[in-house]
Amino acid sequence: MKYEVVIGLEVHVELLTECKLFCSCPNRFASEPNVNTCPVCLGFPGAMPQMSREALQQALTASVALNCEVALYSYFDRKNYFYPDMPKGYQISQYYIPLGSKGFLEIEDNHGSLKKVGIGRVHMEEDAGKLVHEAGGGTAGRSSMVDYNRAGVPLIEIVTEPDLRSSEEARRYLEKLKSIMQYAGVSDCKMEEGSLRCDANVSLRMPGDQAFGVKTELKNMNSFRAVEKSLDHEIKRQAEILDSGEKVATQTLRWNEDKQETIVMRGKLEADGYRCFADSELAPIELTAEEVEQALQKLPEMAEERAQRFVEEYGLPEYDAGVLTASRCMADYFESCLNLYNKPKEVSNWVMGAFSAHLKNAGLEADQAFFSPEDMAELLKMIDEQVISGKIAKKVLDKVFESGKKPRQVVEEEGLLQISDQSELEAIVDQVIAENPDTVESYRGGKSKALGHMVGQVMKATRGKANPQLVNELLVKKIDG
Amino acid sequence: MELRKTTVYQAVEAVLEGEVTAHQVIGKTIKNCSVLNEGLNIFTSIAGIDALEQAEAIDRKIQNGEKPPLAGIPVAVKDDLCYGVLPTSLGSAAFNEFMSPVTATVVERLMDAGAVVIGKTNLDDMGQGSTTLSSPTGPTVNPWQAERAAGSAGAAAVATGICMLAVESDSGGALRQGASHCGVVGLRPTTGRISRYGLNAHCSSFARVGVTAFSSENISGILDLVSGFDERDAATAVCRGGISEIIKNPGSEDMTIGYPVTAFDHLEPDLREIFEQVRDQLGSRGYRTKEIDLGLLREGLQAYYVLALAEASSNHARFDGIRFGKGRETDSLEEMYRQSRSEILGKEARRRSIFGTFLLSKGNYDRYYRQALKIWKLVRQHFEAAFNECDLLMLPVAKNLPRPLKEESSYLDQWSDDLFCAPVSLSGMPSLCVPAGQIDQFPIGMQLVGPPFSEKTLLAVGSTSGPRDMGEGPLSQ
Ligand SMILES: [Zn+2]
Repeated sequence: MKYEVVIGLEVHVELLTECKLFCSCPNRFASEPNVNTCPVCLGFPGAMPQMSREALQQALTASVALNCEVALYSYFDRKNYFYPDMPKGYQISQYYIPLGSKGFLEIEDNHGSLKKVGIGRVHMEEDAGKLVHEAGGGTAGRSSMVDYNRAGVPLIEIVTEPDLRSSEEARRYLEKLKSIMQYAGVSDCKMEEGSLRCDANVSLRMPGDQAFGVKTELKNMNSFRAVEKSLDHEIKRQAEILDSGEKVATQTLRWNEDKQETIVMRGKLEADGYRCFADSELAPIELTAEEVEQALQKLPEMAEERAQRFVEEYGLPEYDAGVLTASRCMADYFESCLNLYNKPKEVSNWVMGAFSAHLKNAGLEADQAFFSPEDMAELLKMIDEQVISGKIAKKVLDKVFESGKKPRQVVEEEGLLQISDQSELEAIVDQVIAENPDTVESYRGGKSKALGHMVGQVMKATRGKANPQLVNELLVKKIDG
Repeated sequence: MELRKTTVYQAVEAVLEGEVTAHQVIGKTIKNCSVLNEGLNIFTSIAGIDALEQAEAIDRKIQNGEKPPLAGIPVAVKDDLCYGVLPTSLGSAAFNEFMSPVTATVVERLMDAGAVVIGKTNLDDMGQGSTTLSSPTGPTVNPWQAERAAGSAGAAAVATGICMLAVESDSGGALRQGASHCGVVGLRPTTGRISRYGLNAHCSSFARVGVTAFSSENISGILDLVSGFDERDAATAVCRGGISEIIKNPGSEDMTIGYPVTAFDHLEPDLREIFEQVRDQLGSRGYRTKEIDLGLLREGLQAYYVLALAEASSNHARFDGIRFGKGRETDSLEEMYRQSRSEILGKEARRRSIFGTFLLSKGNYDRYYRQALKIWKLVRQHFEAAFNECDLLMLPVAKNLPRPLKEESSYLDQWSDDLFCAPVSLSGMPSLCVPAGQIDQFPIGMQLVGPPFSEKTLLAVGSTSGPRDMGEGPLSQ
């Protein structure tokens, strides 16, 4: 393409606090509407906000994790607009002075080398509630209900500079941001659940141009893949407009995942249409240089450091270390398993292999699976104790993911205990030898593969439960006599 | 026991000594209150059985040997302060039956000390004004002169002797103007001294919760009980480690009272004369008085209104018809907002919301709001500079006599009544309104303004200044 792509992202991340930003309501999902509410987050007259120190601490951690300069003095502003999910008629946010600014994170660029993506601002704000539109019935589409459980949940908004040059870079930025936020312990960043939300600004210009082209804003993407796809879609649309000599119009577009296309949204307010001004019910946010330094010191280990440690401490191949640390919960899972069963490479194989495959199938993260590190350790110990074979262990894992039962329970209920009883196996081995005289002959003739075939026959006859090592020994003993 | 002639201290002693029970005091007060309210329109709601039960509980406590420091003291609470037991109307017709889940910290603290809420007092439209003229239930009548407004209903409740104390909000001067027009004493405290949790502020930057009483002594007696840190109001953080009071010995020569000459030039000669007399009296009592400069009153008034209207447009945005007011079915969201907000906000509140929205909108923020912020800062600096010259300063409260009930006046005229009060609000300094004299039958008050946390000094000076006895008081005619 002859144009240069310019992308900037605005990401909202829900913080993992106990309480909401300005009241003591729990910051927790609830299926019943309006249970996590109080006079403050419902905007009742007379109820005043109090800032959660915990949220400030997390926002500070996020800011330093993103290499930001931290404002020692900042405050909250009000962004005024009417919408039913905004209980007070304004959102408390930081408009004039963000907590963090001038930060960056590093990603691989389109050519595989490291690239700094500038982060213009990191600021704190409160989330809105949710509208629930009545579906079905005679009055369908006519009434809506409001659930304020989410109103007042602490968010940080992270805004990049227009530094991204392709949809792929945008995706890589999001992956990196997610990893940093997770490792910093401030958010779980689950886009599908809305704890990470992303809007994208995109424009095209001729390479070498200093000025930016007209940008459009994309909203409503609910996965990293959707961000990438919607950007590709929009880049193509803009290129076609420019190619035809027309001008791109400033618009906000909504991504429709089902149709894989964008829809123009109703005109949105400009930033200065929100009548922002300082909120005088809240005290200014004052931090000391020491507090900022401390946040930096206390920053947890990030993905790269952890991978490095996995290689050095556990002797894992770099590949394994990279895969295991791709998400913090996977790395945490791995280390929890290791605490209970200290064979790093074995654990790594199982976590990266069968376990990850199941997670992917079920669309779960490591911390959401009902196969706990205890279960994993149990399973691996059963292999060591020759209670089951490795092959059976995979079946056990399947069953556990299917039924939610404990590994040992599955082994017992399904009769998967390994047959290590010599007399029981001898009968089967004898039978296999008797039924396969040709194979026995070719083994005797020096074809070692033939033995493998016979082991397979025994395993088949025992539905995989035979102890393969014992079968091997018995066959060799009987044939070689 | 006639409340108007008794101090809080004496009244509490009488209850603690068993001369009278809290139940008797409150019972009599409620009866008195219902009778007087007919003609004066002081209360939006009056407590009944709840207050009597509270009084009984206090009597039981006393029998058990406890000594509640405000045992049986009847208190009036302005109706923009939430109190879970009585409706909280906020000055809106749509909220006349609203039971708030919140009880204001100041009310909680008074009740914990044994005081009993007698009723909620009338206020302007959404609490916005210093006259009660825009109240959805009509104005409160001045007890001294039935043709004029009381200024604030809490002051009227105290002046008539119905209640010993009133807790009221004061943003641009409502509490002080009321005290001045009703001949009682009203304290607007230093920023952060008294928690505002539970106050439906129309303007959070300047709204304070203050106390009105018949005398300075009565306010002194309860100030510590209602002051101090409250985690629910961020501004009270200044009191977290205790309050560092500025206490000076009243009447001594080392106390200088500033007299900003140019401020008094705004007054008609007969009014100005009263303040000159007070100044001379203070001099003869041993105070040093000193003429000082205090500019920016008019600019301060304008800045106050820019900031207050802007905040009101935001503070009242929550009244969108979704959680409060009548449920209604409309074709569009905008129509629902229009109908609900027309019902909840009266004419004055709508005017202020519209002005405020305009003042904050694109372009106007820099033109008006940002300028007002600068003036706010300058006014604060002017007051700070003034206290390099003097310990306290005196200022008028009202520019005029209370507004007549029947005469229409423009909103701009009404707003400009805050000429002497609004700049003090900008300064963040405490102000005590005490009676200064009388013109015909009308009491005239003055403000004593001091540096932050000089309330105890203000109250000490206030108790020795001005005419101590206003004769037989209102309603005597
Ligand atoms: Zn809440």
